[in-house]
Amino acid sequence: MTDDELSCETIFPARQPLERGEIGRFLVQSDLDYEPGVEVFVVFRREGTLVACAGLEKNIVKCVAISEELRGESIGLKLLTEIVGLAQDRGYSHLFLYTKPDNVPFFRGCGFYPLVEVPGRVAFMENTPVGLPSYCTRLRGEAKSGGKIGAIVMNANPFTLGHLYLIERAAAECDWLHVFVVAEEASLFSYRDRFAMVSEGTARVARMTLHHGSSYMVSRATFSSYFFKEKGIVGDCCTAVDLLVFRNWIAPALGVTHRFVGTEPFCPTTRKYNADMHHWLAEAASPAAPVETVEIPRLTYGETPISASEVRRLLAEKDFAAIAHLVPPTTLDFLQTRWCAPAMTAA
Amino acid sequence: MKVVREALAGTLESNDLLVRVSPGRGEGYELVISSEVKHQFGPQIEATAKEVLARLAVSGGTVVIEDKGALDCTIRARLEAAAMRACAVEAADIDWSKLK
Repeated sequence: MTDDELSCETIFPARQPLERGEIGRFLVQSDLDYEPGVEVFVVFRREGTLVACAGLEKNIVKCVAISEELRGESIGLKLLTEIVGLAQDRGYSHLFLYTKPDNVPFFRGCGFYPLVEVPGRVAFMENTPVGLPSYCTRLRGEAKSGGKIGAIVMNANPFTLGHLYLIERAAAECDWLHVFVVAEEASLFSYRDRFAMVSEGTARVARMTLHHGSSYMVSRATFSSYFFKEKGIVGDCCTAVDLLVFRNWIAPALGVTHRFVGTEPFCPTTRKYNADMHHWLAEAASPAAPVETVEIPRLTYGETPISASEVRRLLAEKDFAAIAHLVPPTTLDFLQTRWCAPAMTAA
Repeated sequence: MKVVREALAGTLESNDLLVRVSPGRGEGYELVISSEVKHQFGPQIEATAKEVLARLAVSGGTVVIEDKGALDCTIRARLEAAAMRACAVEAADIDWSKLK
């Protein structure tokens, strides 16, 4: 087989319905689903026939398939070179992918490194040997001594009295508490604003470190369905990858023994995530020590549990009198002066 | 020459290498080599890479090499290209005398 029989092209499925259908049929032959979130594909053809494809959804490589008769040739390396170059052109250098555990050696040969594996189900990889390991080395510098070290991962969209209550309760129970703010920009409030709200709102909490979030926790890469709740059911593996990254990498780096979470009365995705925590952080087989999940009942105002989504609803109505009961003064000040005021002057 | 952006050079194909240079912390650089022939040629690849990075005085970056059994001349060329892209060197400003 010589290379010149192969041609390579880039396909944008949103604009190329014929090719999209062709890729869909090709993926079926490899037992893969067409992922509607893929924005762009690289495909290889031989004499017009599709023989290999790989897709990109932001910084996640998806839908990698090679026709059976070409496997074992070097087309996989060409395919991955093309997709890595295409991702770079689109502004994504740090890439992730999910694959069957059997395919790990193939992707390992293409510059991807395994992070966690759900045995028999899925493996999660990134395209750098100095990604998650370096991140954990930096975290290790922030570790504190103590027998009970807690962690909370929160989106704080926006930061409410419920979040503050969870942090205060957890901090009171622990020798030290590490709080991470979800870094993904997929919420009403920007990461910068959410981080500022948590930082200002927790200024007086003792024995607590506030950390910047990363791609490695509740991110588009580790837990994409959290950000796309409307797009179908959350699979088991989806929460498993995020939670195993936490248990196998992040918790050991900081010496975390307990993960705290508020009970979830409203959102089914978050509720499932909380339920899965007990399993993946403790019960599931793992090389890392178990992390105990502690669910703390939500703070209520009147009869109703305080939720960020309710605050967002009230914010749309500019009902600051009602919001004042649900958020700390620092958040209220932010919402009134920095969030709403510029919008009003612009209007 | 300071690394100011992420850059790639090369491919993952046989007898080539993919070099990725990205901004890092502090002075100097971090070099990570992954090679299919590391057990045989690891020290030689490392020496070649360090020689190129020192000659170009690359600092403040992480350099990751995915080697597929490339010759030394290929390693030099890919490293030079990736480093100059990452340091935002314009073609007109290239100091050709530093490139052997």
